[in-house]
Formats: sequence, C-alpha cells, structure tokens
Amino acid sequence: MDDALVRAGRALRLVLLVVLALVFLIPFYLLVRNGLSSEQDITSPEWTFFPGALRWGNVRELFDDPSVPFARSLLNSALIAVATTLGTLLLASLAGYGLARIPYRHANKVFYGILGTLLVPAAVTFVPSFVLVSSLGWISTLRGLIVPTLFSAFACFVFRQYFLGFPRELEDAAQVDGLGYWRTYWLVVVPNARPVFAAVGTIVFLGAWNSFLWPLVIGQDQNAWTVQVALSSFTTSQVIRLHELFVAAVVSVLPLLLVFLCFQRWIVAGVERSGID
Amino acid sequence: MTMSRRGLLVAGAGAAGAGLLAGCGSDTGRGGGGAKGAELSQWYHQYGEAGTEQAVQRYAAAYKKARVRVQWRPGNYDQQTAAALLTDSGPDVFEVNGPTLDQIQGGQVVDLTDLLKGVEDDFNPAVLAPKTYDGRIWGIPQVIDMQMLYYRRSLLKDAGVEPPATLDALVDAAKKLTTSKVKGLFLGNDGGAGVLGGTPLYAAGLQLVTEDGKVGFDDPAAARTLAKLHQLYADKSLLLGAPADWSDPSAFVQGLTAMQWSGLWALPQVRKELGDDFGVLPFPKDGGQGKPSVPVGAYGAAVSARGGHQEAAKEFVKWLWVERTDFQEDFALSYGFHIPARISLAKKAAGLRSGAAADAVRFTTDHGYAQPLLWTPASQTAYQDALSRIIRGGAGPEGELRAVVRKVTGELDRVKHAKKPS
Amino acid sequence: MRGRRTLWFWAFVGPFALGLALFTYVPLLWSVGLSFFDAHNTVTPTHFVGLDNYTAMLRDDAFVDSLKTFLVFTAFIVPATYVFSLSLALMVNRLEHARAFFRSVFFLPAACSYVVAALVWKMSIFNGVRFGLANTVLGWFGGDPVAWLSTTDPPWYWLVIVTVRLWLQAGFYMILFLAGLQRIDPVLYEAAAVDGARPGWTVLRHITLPQLRATSVAVVLLLVINAFQAFDEFYNLLSDARGYPPYARPPLVYLYYTALGQGQNLGLGSAGAVILALIIAVVTVGQARWLGLGRTDADG
Repeated sequence: MDDALVRAGRALRLVLLVVLALVFLIPFYLLVRNGLSSEQDITSPEWTFFPGALRWGNVRELFDDPSVPFARSLLNSALIAVATTLGTLLLASLAGYGLARIPYRHANKVFYGILGTLLVPAAVTFVPSFVLVSSLGWISTLRGLIVPTLFSAFACFVFRQYFLGFPRELEDAAQVDGLGYWRTYWLVVVPNARPVFAAVGTIVFLGAWNSFLWPLVIGQDQNAWTVQVALSSFTTSQVIRLHELFVAAVVSVLPLLLVFLCFQRWIVAGVERSGID
Repeated sequence: MTMSRRGLLVAGAGAAGAGLLAGCGSDTGRGGGGAKGAELSQWYHQYGEAGTEQAVQRYAAAYKKARVRVQWRPGNYDQQTAAALLTDSGPDVFEVNGPTLDQIQGGQVVDLTDLLKGVEDDFNPAVLAPKTYDGRIWGIPQVIDMQMLYYRRSLLKDAGVEPPATLDALVDAAKKLTTSKVKGLFLGNDGGAGVLGGTPLYAAGLQLVTEDGKVGFDDPAAARTLAKLHQLYADKSLLLGAPADWSDPSAFVQGLTAMQWSGLWALPQVRKELGDDFGVLPFPKDGGQGKPSVPVGAYGAAVSARGGHQEAAKEFVKWLWVERTDFQEDFALSYGFHIPARISLAKKAAGLRSGAAADAVRFTTDHGYAQPLLWTPASQTAYQDALSRIIRGGAGPEGELRAVVRKVTGELDRVKHAKKPS
Repeated sequence: MRGRRTLWFWAFVGPFALGLALFTYVPLLWSVGLSFFDAHNTVTPTHFVGLDNYTAMLRDDAFVDSLKTFLVFTAFIVPATYVFSLSLALMVNRLEHARAFFRSVFFLPAACSYVVAALVWKMSIFNGVRFGLANTVLGWFGGDPVAWLSTTDPPWYWLVIVTVRLWLQAGFYMILFLAGLQRIDPVLYEAAAVDGARPGWTVLRHITLPQLRATSVAVVLLLVINAFQAFDEFYNLLSDARGYPPYARPPLVYLYYTALGQGQNLGLGSAGAVILALIIAVVTVGQARWLGLGRTDADG
C-alpha cells in the first residue's frame, strides 16, 4: 500500500518533470523553426507548429548579407568574451584572495567598498562612463569594449567567499615551505580552485557575450560590432526581416549552448564548493 | 599581472590628461586622416530598404575635398547620437530626427543658414520650419516621410463601407469591417498612442504648440476627439499584438486587418502584393473645426559643434544636400519611397504623379503638419503616456489632458527662458 | 612584517580596486554631481540648481508610479522564482536516472540573452493574433485570441514578463538549490525516517528548509537585487520605435528615456538614479541584516 503510493508519487513527479522539460525546450524549438522558415511561414495566418519546408539557405543568406558583417561580429564577440573572461578571472581572483587571506587593517572597508557597487544599477553611471571612455580615445576599439567591463564586483565577491572556505592547511604547508603569498597563490591555491574559476568564468563569458548596450554605443564602427549589435540591426526602424533575425538569433545562441553544456559539470561543482551561498 | 597593472596606470594617466586631449581633434583610433585633408565621419540611421547604404557610400566616395567615412547605425539611433554628441568622438556630419531644441540651445549643432542662401524657398516649408530656430537653420531636410491610412478596397466594398471621411465614420467602418478573422483597423500594437501622436489633434482643428509658443490643445474639442480613439479600442475593432508593427505593411497585405496606418515607405510593397486593391486616406477630420491631417517629417543633415572639422563638414553638407540634386533625387526615389524635400525635385518625380503616390503628395501639401520644434521629448512623453491611458485604459480624457497641458506649459516655459545658442 | 603584508594586500587587490575606482566610482560620483545641476544635453553643466531635480523627480507621477511598479513586481517575482526553482531542485534531486539531463534542460535557458528570449516571447509565443502559440492553445479550448502585450485590462503583459524571467532564471537558482541539497547530511534524513517522519511535507519543513537556510538567504538577496535592476526584458518586450507604454514601466526604463534618449535631461535622470540606488541600498542592507547574512561569513 505504502509502496504503491511511493511509486505513484515517483511516476507523477517524472511526468511533471517531462512536461516541464518540454515546455522549457519549446522556445528553443521555435527559434530554430522560425530561423529555418520563409518570411511567410513565420507570420502566416495558417501558422503550423511544423513548417512546410526547412530553408537551410537562410543560414547562407545571413553570412552573405553585405549590409551586416555577421561573421566579423561573431569573431568580435568571441574575442571580447574570451578576453573579458580571462581578465576578469585574473583581476577578481587576485582581489578575492587578497581580501580573504592577507591580513590588512582596512580590508573590510575595501571589501564593502567593492560590494557596494553591486547595488548601483549600471544605467546610473552609463553616460559618464561613456564620456570617460571616449575621452580616453577608446571609442570603437577593443580596449574600450573590454577594459571598462573587467572589474566585476560580483566575481570578486564570489572568489572572496570561496577562498574564505578554502582549507587553510594547504596554504600553511606552503608557507612553511617558504613560499610567499604570490607563489602560494599560483602554485597551491589556483590549481585547487578550478571549479570556482570555471563557474565564475562561465557566468562572465555569458554576460560578455550577451551584453548589448555598451558594445552598441562604444562599437561605433561597423568593424567593431558584436553579435548582439548585428542581431539588433535586423530590426530596423521600418521593416523587420524576421527570418534573418531568427536565424541570426540561433547562430548567436549556439556557441553559448556549447560552452554551457561543456562546462556545466564545472559550474555545478563550482557552485557547490563556492561561497555563492 | 605586471602587464595589466601597467595598462591601468596608462589608463589613469589618460583620464587625468583627458582635458588636455580634448582639444586634439577627433582622431580616436578610427584610423588616421586621409591624405586629402580632413577625414569626416558621417552618420546615418539604418534604413531598411536594400541599396540605401551602398548609395550613401557612393555619394561619400564622390566627394573629392575630404575623405568621408560613412557609419551606418543600427538600434536606437537618437540615443546613440545624443550620447556621441557629448564627446569628441562623435560624428562630424549626421542625420538627425531634429535637431531637438535642446541640442540647438545647448550649442551641440552648428548654424547652417548660410548654406541654404538663395535656395531656402525650394525646400518644403512644412519640414524646414521645425529645423529653424531664432531665424536660423540648424538642419537641412533630406527627404520627406509621411504617414497615411491604407485601406483594402475589396473588403470595404464587401462590407458596404465607404472610405471614411470623418473620424466618426472611421470608428463605424472599423467596427463593421471587423470579423472573427480580420480586424477593422491597425494603428500599431499599442493601439495608436505612439504613431498617432498629435495627428488626431490636428484633425480636430487644433495643434500641439501654437505660433506664439503656447499649448495648442487646451480645448474641449481635444478630449472629444481622443475619446473616439478609445471607442475604437473598446469596440475591439483594433488589431493588437501583430508580429510586425505599424511601420511594416505585413499585417495589411496578409489580410489581418482591413485598414492600416503606415508610412509612405510601405507603398511599393503594398502595391506589389495587392495591385489595385487598396487606397489611401489622410487621418479623417473630426468636428466642425476639423480638417484631415497627415504627419510629415524629415531627417535633417546637421553638423556637430564638437567635431574637429566644422568648416570642412559644412562644405560637405552643402555639396551633398544643397548642390548635388542628382544624389538627392536618387536618395529620395531610388530605394525606399520618399518625397524629395526640394519642391523642384518633387515636381519632377515621375513616380509621384499618379495613383496612391500622387494622393500621398497631395495629402502632404494640403494636410501635412510637422511636429513643432518647441514640442520637446519631455512633452512628447507626457502626451503619449496620457494618450495610451485614454485609448487602452479608458481614462477620462479631460483629466489626462489637464495634466498634460500643465506639464507642456512647464516645458514651453523652460525652453523659452533657456539661453539662446551662441 | 605588517608593512610587507599591507604591500602584498595591495599587490593583490590594487589592480582591481584601481579599475573599479576609475570605471565605477568616477562615473558614479560624476552622476551624483550632475544631479545637482541643470544638465540638458551636457555632462559639464554650469547651472547649479541644488535639490530641484530631486524634488521634481519625487513629484513626477510617472517616476513614483514606476517605483510602485517595481515594488509590486519584486513582491511577486521573488517568491515566485524562489518557489519554482526550489521545486525544480527538489524534483530533480530525487531522480535516480537522467538527473543530468533534466538539470541541463532547465539550466540551458540561462545561456540565452534577454534579446533572444524576448524575441521568441513577443513574436512567436505571445503575439496577439490568432496564430500565436498561446492563442492557438486558447483556441483549442474555444477561447478568443488575446493581445497579450497590448491589453491593460486584465494586465496580461505581466504573464509574459514573468514567464520569460522564470524561463531564463529559474535554472540558475535551481543549480544553487541543488548544490545546497547535496550538502545536507543524509544522516539527518535517516534519523527522521527512524523517528517515523514520512517523506514529504514534514521532512521538507523540519529538515530540508532549515538546512537550506544559507542558500535561501543568498538566493533571495540575488533575486531582490535582480528584480530592482530589471530592465532588459521589459525594454525588449514592451518598447517600440515610438517609446514605452505608461504601464509595467520599471524605474530604470523610465530613467533611460529621461536621460539617454533624445530627452538628454542628464541632471534629472541622475537624480532619479540616485534615489533608486538609495532605495536599493536601504532595502538590500536591511534585508541582509534581517536575514543574517553576516552569519554565512562567520561560517566561512
């Protein structure tokens, strides 16, 4: 009797999960479906869940479109996302380690000074940031697109929390061996903290790839467009090219899904062992 | 590590020296100036019509006195130019849906009056007026865009409906034309608040701002007219939430709606899909004082006051938008569908002499109104919010309009007392 | 010794702190400065107006409305996301097979940008014509098509906004909860079973939830900060070429139109932003105190 109940509960849970999973996958399906449809099939009054014919030509049309340098924008986004991720990991992990492990009278004040910036919406500082970056002469340069975004208080916070929970014995042993902070950090701490680097790195990478407003305003030259800017160019003021927009959206999401699926194990491990909570 | 620290030190020094650098022109890493003197950067918003970008590149390449780099900007163009004008790395020459009064008063754009000497009268006065402030001209109209009402002849005939000549008739027609499959009228996915703007007020014989700078719709007729727009919504005659918005004729040509408010630019596509089965109308008049109205507007070519090469930029603007009438004609008529801003060119244009296009030109001449320069973005937001609440929320038009009048009066007061451009 | 440590501290923290100072604090102080000036179309204003921008902003019905909007939004989205992602985590955690598969499916949307998600929601699922996905489903049950994003009564647009946010974010918080669940000592459950507690509500209430306390605090804090800073999905779902409707308009969207568009009233926009930042700070710090965030620090 009890057994039957438990089994019924388990079956119910599984059914619920399968239904939810399908619901979560539908938007991905719609993205691909519309991306491979003709303009008419997307907005047709006789809309069907499965389109009449898949038009793979849309993908080539996207890359051949002379008015939007889509391949170039993918490259830019990749460059920017990788550089931003590496830079952020380096700067934030060093700062996080310093805050967590090196005794300093005002460390707490510095920490709260960093943490406090999390509360300020980016839109608040947008215009002055833009003017600042432009007065450095960084408009339409990779520097301008990357450097100002490297200082993530969130990443620093996560690293600090993680290093606070890091087993001290390892470092103590290193100190006994006569290693200073610098070498302890590189030889002992970093190799043992891979999950948190992977977790933070993935989150930063996603953010860099998906960010829109900053690259739009800084990347004035068409050669400096990122993939999100190119994406937005398909919704011009007057006529929207829906099929190109959707196929571009698919292409822009694909690399992320791959990164995500590959690193998911690490993210989960990183979260489990980090101080995010 | 050392690398990044050095990078930061350089960055810090750069910030400190920014004031000094400010005077050094606009070389901002976009490549050095060309051999032929100044390099000018020219901005356009992204036009949807194929070939437009190649065309403006061709014009720029044909200019011999300076190298001109065209930048084609997707996304929110107004916001990008507004931000860029705060810095030295913005454009030298740019097209602008304005310039706005605050841009003129803030000294962000250059006086272009001299460039038009002798040919002012050839520019359509309706679109030149909003570019004129204090007797001087701050932007040169490029092409005229206008909006109007498209209707499907066959659907109106089947329903026994005449093309509406009054707002009341429009409300009735939209209701009669609405079936379970087709809606009567499409005024945009927000029910019309955005695209209609001041048009219904002009149709009621009112205006946004009067000649002498007062609120132009502090009148009971305004509330009466706007209430009728809510009637359209309440009758469920309006198409809402279409995949493409009012600016795109998809909903109309696909038969989702019997009538649609859209731009002149949609005409070629509508003609291609529907042949003769459509007609165009101005926004119909309302009330005894009313007259039909259509909004007209023009992107203007302006010169930034922050650019390093103002004189060269002015010379280029004069060359392209005053002297080269062949390019102006090509730009207006070969890609999308616009009316040339020059009266002499508009008269020559064969494509504008017959059918719906000729109607559109006539509406522009007889019923066109342009948003006045004194109608600031803050006024626009307040009015559009109120209109949205009236149409969709069923809010009382009198009360909503009272609040708008108060806000607009404050704005008009502010700009009147702001400093004159130097 | 202490001097050398200080040096090391700054060697580690210095580069980050310097960059943060230049690219966050300088613009921030600049913004605060602007808020005391009449700054139309300029970032170097000369006309000092004191607190005028602040009083104007607090008297502006549209701004106050937008503050109310986000309070309502926060009050709803925080518990909704919390419950939903916790439920997902509990269900996935108890799976014996295919756990990685389900985890991936629910986590995958986190890789999507708001731009892409809004595109699918607005154009394909919740468009207002009868062939939109939601309206097709309604049609099966004989319902009339609904213009999801365009009608204000009833306010269906909230359904669109909330579902897109849940889709994008629930997976991330589910991962946090899963991590928390993994850390609970199985001995606790065994002890409960010996005591005769049946798996289900009792165990959830007396063992799981208390053990998840630290995770819950973090999740709620992140959710609140995220809700306050909501911008992307609202902007991408509801704005059009002509602006933004006067409903479901969060403060950041309103300030965006005040300061960044052609409005360019940077003084007024900055004043609004400072007010907003202060509210966020007060609420977050208050909440952190109340939930005892400090304790997780001590737990290390």
